[in-house]
Formats: sequence, structure tokens, C-alpha cells
Amino acid sequence: MLRTDEILSTIEMLHAEHLDVRAVTLALNVEDCAAPSVDHVCRKLRNKIVSRARRLVETCNRVGAKYGIPVVNKRLAISPASTILAGHGHAAAVQVARTLDAAAAECGVDFVGGFTALVHKGISSADAVVMDSLPEVLSQTKQVCASVNVASRKAGINMDAIHRMGHVLLKIAEATADQQGFGCAKLVIFANIPEDNPFMAGAYMGAGEPEATINIGVSGPGVVCSALKRRLAREKNLTLGDLAEEIKITSFRVTRVGELIGREVAAELGVAFGIVDLSLAPTPMVGDSVGEILKTLGIARIGAPGSTAAVAMLNDAVKKGGLFASSSVGGLSGAFIPVSEDAALADAVGQGHLVLEKLEAMTSVCSVGLDMIAIPGDTPAETIAAIIADEMAIGVINDKTTAVRLIPVPGAKAGDRVDFGGLFGATPVMEIRNAGASDAFVHFGGRIPAPLQSLGN
Amino acid sequence: MKARFDNVYVLDVMSDDHPGIVAAVTTAVESLGGNIDACSQTVLGGYFTLIMIVSTPEPVDPAVLAEQVRQAGASNSPFQVMARHANATPRATPTDPCDRFVITAFGKDQPGIVRRFSQYLAGRDINIVDLYGDRSGDEFVLIGQLEVPTRWDIGMLQTDLEQMGEELGFTVKLQHENVFVATNQLRLSYSH
Repeated sequence: MLRTDEILSTIEMLHAEHLDVRAVTLALNVEDCAAPSVDHVCRKLRNKIVSRARRLVETCNRVGAKYGIPVVNKRLAISPASTILAGHGHAAAVQVARTLDAAAAECGVDFVGGFTALVHKGISSADAVVMDSLPEVLSQTKQVCASVNVASRKAGINMDAIHRMGHVLLKIAEATADQQGFGCAKLVIFANIPEDNPFMAGAYMGAGEPEATINIGVSGPGVVCSALKRRLAREKNLTLGDLAEEIKITSFRVTRVGELIGREVAAELGVAFGIVDLSLAPTPMVGDSVGEILKTLGIARIGAPGSTAAVAMLNDAVKKGGLFASSSVGGLSGAFIPVSEDAALADAVGQGHLVLEKLEAMTSVCSVGLDMIAIPGDTPAETIAAIIADEMAIGVINDKTTAVRLIPVPGAKAGDRVDFGGLFGATPVMEIRNAGASDAFVHFGGRIPAPLQSLGN
Repeated sequence: MKARFDNVYVLDVMSDDHPGIVAAVTTAVESLGGNIDACSQTVLGGYFTLIMIVSTPEPVDPAVLAEQVRQAGASNSPFQVMARHANATPRATPTDPCDRFVITAFGKDQPGIVRRFSQYLAGRDINIVDLYGDRSGDEFVLIGQLEVPTRWDIGMLQTDLEQMGEELGFTVKLQHENVFVATNQLRLSYSH
């Protein structure tokens, strides 16, 4: 029998603090959709996606209602598009992307991830097709998300790929200039890309995964923030250790909810349950913010000294609580700090409290990287590449996933405000200091060798 | 629960709450050679209530058992006692397959809240296995743990109850119990 206090505390978390399941992502292996003719590829792709995913949205809604917990986003992730584009060209890539877009719309999901190339050690012909088609793909589709892995602990940092992506990002921005470069918001550039990440834009179906699997992204930072505020209102003389404990307990409970929903959805769809991703993913909604947690932890201006330590504590406590709650933890599993998607972070940028370099420092202790950052549209490709390289170095050396989602906003300069709408939020354009001062470094090209950490055997 | 002896009784005791009630009651039971096979107590608003399953090697008149326990109470705080023969199967097991749900209702207190919800549940053969209600300030909170026959569409029950709550100015939720198990208990009692 459940105790009354247990029921009451869960009710408080569910309803007063708006606990939800942030993402249920059905990952599908589509390697068997490869075929000599692109029309054939697209037919197979559409049929496979629709037959496996047509019940996803309805199942998530029904299971969510049974437990009184909404599933906010339902998504698809597929094997890297490069695996089905081998032997095909640019036009085929765009046609495949349009097919994915239509299949996602038919299933009622909001995004489909996996327009992906894995180029950490080198770029194959199919990878080049994927990378070079991104300006068209991301400007001509709505729901397709892309990712490119340019670095790994085992391979080092592929500077040629990074340089190329610097130019690709500018072209995507130009192709979506009427949406302030929004196409770039659907592309993540990774080091150590996870194979089971449920969060967009970086979700894809990794090579070591089963035929189909359900991966879960748990509720956002609002629940953790409310739990901290409640504890602080109730007790005096709390230490950071006490607050870390509160985060840990909340993370445990949030993770359990995610796994409960995920396993039931997977069972109903007849697919394997994959992982729970513990990441705290903010939304532009007031209160659903990692920045707000930092403020609650006593950092009055986000970006002030102490911000990195506070993020580190938050990230670690989230992992500890989640890891004990579930034996199937994976994906990114950290705290995200996406600037435009987090109202408090965007505000800190606007106030001049938070600069790119401090954000970079914070990403060394959390997930996932320089995320949803609007930069001036005239930032040189080499400077963008160098920013990516810095972030990749943090991931490779620290043996963690890092990522970059930069949006060069055509015609915009530092301080201008851009609004991407909905979950993508709004942000001031961030100042890039020392633009143009990294060209020679980037032009050397080649690959930064794998670090000592790669020799773990 | 399997009783130790063949003669099984259900014993119910109510009193002002104070230390020593359980000691007094169990001493009286033991004086008749009785064994306590199961017991549960609760204290609500300063009042103590205890229910016990008691078995004895020899038959005892329930009235004698009740009187023996009554005598154990202090004169300034008498026990109200009931005793009767217990049936082998205390209540009919629901014939329909059921699933466990929790209903929670919060709102401004007024007479008739528990009646409205319990009448609705009774009309659908939904068994209340545990009930908690508390008035704090003007607010009333009601929590019921329920056995809901699987033949019902949960979405319909949720809509009905939420509508009823709206009419009464109450926030009502009906949720499967596993979400409470998952968020509170270390070892999960449901299978994945």
C-alpha cells in the first residue's frame, strides 16, 4: 500500500511543478532501405517509417494519460542518412530528406533526426553528399534534423570536416535567411556523438543499436528548480551539499517516471526499450530554465564567477540520482545550456553577463555544448570552424560528448535580437571576439591526432 | 494471513489516543489464550482506532472477548469495543480483473465531497482500498487508492471525475498507481 505522504509528494511534483516526459523518440534502423534507384530508396523509407511509427503519437498520448503525465514531444530517429545515400548524389539526398519530412508529418511527430554523417576520421563520398546537401535539405524541409560527428576520443579532431562545416553553416544560414538562419538550428556538430540520444536536433540511430528502440528524454529543469525553491523556503542554513541531495532525489523520481512511460510505450509498440536520457532540457517557458536553477543556487548573474561550479554540481547530482533510478541510462545525460531555448540564459547574454568564452567553460562540465547561439552573419567560416574546434577539443580530451549549434544570422550584428519561435526561443546575437584571428590555424587542415586518452586498452 | 488457531474473531477498539492502549488490549486478548494474527491501527484527530484478527484455541463468545478488552480500558478513557466471528474469506474477491489507480482531489472544503466521489466510484464497481481525507484551512484533500475493473475506459473515468471536480471547484486526478510506486519506492513492485 502506498503511503499518503508519498502520494502527496508525487502529486506536488506532477501537477504543481508540471512534470512531463520531454521526448519519446522511436529510433529505427533504415539501412535495409538502401537501393540502386533513389525512388526505390524513398518508397522503402516511407513505408518502413510509417508502418513502424504510425501508432507512436497515439500510444504516447494514451500511456501519458494513464499516468497523468504528458509526453511533450514524439520524435523519430533513423540510421545515418549517409548509409542509404552511398552511391547516390546531391539530388538524391534532397529527395530522401523530403521523403523523411513527409513521413514524419504523416506519423504526426514533430522531428525526424538522422540526416547524419560520421566523419571524425575521414569523409566518405556518401558523407560528403550529406554534408554538402545540408543547405538545401534544411531549407526545404521542416522536420528533418541533421548531425555531423567531426571528432572522437579514438580518432581525434577532423579539422578538414570542421572547416567544411564552417562554410556549410554559412550556406545554410543564407538559404534560410528569411527565417534568420533558422536552418542552422536543425544541425548539431558533435564530438563523441551518442548512438541513443533522444533529443533533437542530434538524435540518430547508432550502428550498435537494435532494429527499433524507444529512447526517452526526461522532464525539464522546471521540476528541479521548483524542488530547490521549496526546500529553500522550508529550511534555513542549507549547504550546497543539501541542495545537491535535493537535485539528486528529484532526478531519481523524474528518471523513474521517464522509464515507466518509455517501457510501456515500447511494449505497446512491440519494440525494444533503449535508454532514459537524464538531460535537463530547458524550454523558453518561464521557470523551465537551467539558468533559473543557477540563480536559485545563488548565482545572481549567470556567467558570474561560480557559474561553472554550480553547473558542475547540478550536472553531477542529476546523474547520480538518475543512475540509481534506472539501469538503462544513456544518450547525453547532462544539463543542457541552449541559449535561445533558455529564457534566463538568453537574458544573461542580453545583459552582457554571459559571454561565449564563459559558456564554453560551462560546457566542459555539463552537456552538451555551445547550443542555440546566434552569432553575427558576417562571422568568417574559419572563425566558426575554430569555435567548433575548441568545443570538440573539450569533448575529445575530457572523453565526453560536446556539440555546437551555432546560428549565423544573416545581416545581424552583435546585440540584435532574433526570435526563432516556439521551443527554439529568442536571443540576442552574441558577440564573437577576435573574429578572423584563427584563419591560419584552421587552414592547416588535417586531423588533430587522437589524444593519450584514446589509448585506454 | 492465516490464523494460528481455528476460532477466529475480528476485534475493533476505539479510544482517545494515549500511550498504553495496545498493551492493555493485547494483555486482555492474551488472558483468554488468544493469538494476534494481524493488526492495524490509525490515529485521526486525536482518536485511536485499532482493528485486529484474533484467534483462540477454544471457542470464546465474542461478547466475552469484547468485555474482557473493555475492562482493560481506564475509567477516564473508556474503550469502545466490538468483536465478532471472522469469516474465512473476509470479503468477496472482485470477480472482474482490476487495475490499481489513485484518485486525488483538492479544493475548497464543503459538505458532500467524499459522498459525491464515492457514489460515482461505487456505481462503477470501483473498490476503495484506502482512503485519506484532511481539512487544512479551507482546503480539503482527498486521496483514494482504488481497484478499477479493467473493463472501464480510463479516459472516460478521468473525464467524468474531472468534470465532477470542476462542478465542485476541485482539482481531480485519476492516475495509475505505478507512477507513485516508481517515484517513491526503491524496489519496483511492478514488472517492466
